[in-house]
Amino acid sequence: MNIKTKLVIKYYMNKIWLFMMISGILVLLYTNPSQTLSTMISASTSTVELCINLCAVYAVWLGFIEIIEQSGLSNKLAKLLRPIIKKLFKIDNEEIEKMIALNLSANMLGLGNASTPMGIKAMKALDDKSGTASFPMIMLLILNTTSLQLLPTTIMGLRASSGSLSPSDIILPTIIASVFCITLSITLVKLCESIRNKKRKGET
Amino acid sequence: MSSIILPVIFIFLFIYCLFKKINTYDAFVKGAKSSIKLVIDIFPYIASIMIAVALLRVSGITQFLTKLLSPIFNFLGIPKELSEIVLLRPFTGSGSFALLEDVFLTYGPDSYISRCACVIMGCSETIFYVATVYFSQTKVKKLLYAIPIALVVSFVGVIVSCLLCKII
Repeated sequence: MNIKTKLVIKYYMNKIWLFMMISGILVLLYTNPSQTLSTMISASTSTVELCINLCAVYAVWLGFIEIIEQSGLSNKLAKLLRPIIKKLFKIDNEEIEKMIALNLSANMLGLGNASTPMGIKAMKALDDKSGTASFPMIMLLILNTTSLQLLPTTIMGLRASSGSLSPSDIILPTIIASVFCITLSITLVKLCESIRNKKRKGET
Repeated sequence: MSSIILPVIFIFLFIYCLFKKINTYDAFVKGAKSSIKLVIDIFPYIASIMIAVALLRVSGITQFLTKLLSPIFNFLGIPKELSEIVLLRPFTGSGSFALLEDVFLTYGPDSYISRCACVIMGCSETIFYVATVYFSQTKVKKLLYAIPIALVVSFVGVIVSCLLCKII
């Protein structure tokens, strides 16, 4: 193991998953072994249900996205957002910029399900097959794991339906917290990238 | 107000296409067709994370962790009633929304705890779900610093949310 692999914070989904599975099954073995398989199958069943729902939602959104694409509106949107995307992602590829523009604007409108297919496509296009996530990929992931949505419409709806007297009084704190989180995550990604670059330069 | 935004956008889109003489039907069919393939591609990734989370919840590990962490959370200004939401939010969207409704029922939607929970949910995302789905079509195995940053930001966001709810 060289210094680089020790220093760079590594993250393997494989390890996290294995750890979750082993600890879950071990405890169940002690408390309630007969539930192990049924739990897994019921989780898988609910995933099938979720995926059928997702398939329906994606069909509508991907249909509209294709119309937006063919009408040339996505190019216009990408042009509009280009300065910001270029600055954040440091990429120069119109096709990918377009996908990212669609992904981010769907996120801002609160259409999480509409933004996912574009995000997956953008990620695929950004992949350099090296096995390591590049800076623009990490930036895209971080922007999608921080809520860009400024108006929490779903949560306001939930509040209203459970009898809240003022469902909208969470808007201001949510906006402040979201803006804070977005700023913090962009700063941290840029910071980590510059540290990584320095280390890389130091090694060669 | 927000309910009319989308229909208006759709109408504008269709009128725009009418003027530009674009075959909207053909385009929509083409787009909708790709949805099945996309869902089939991401299904195994979602299933494996859902199975792991379900095992953790049924085995009682999450409740145990919640008990273990609540003094620390309390120290940071996070109400101990919200420990489970904070813990599960990065893994499951539907699960944390179910917990949110529980909080509404138990403490009333206008209580401090409920408002905190709302702001926490509003400024965060299901990190592990997004990460697995977004990277499912790539060859990436190493995410470097991505997940740690996402988790740290989301946790700081929780602390800030609770603080903001106290002031505002």
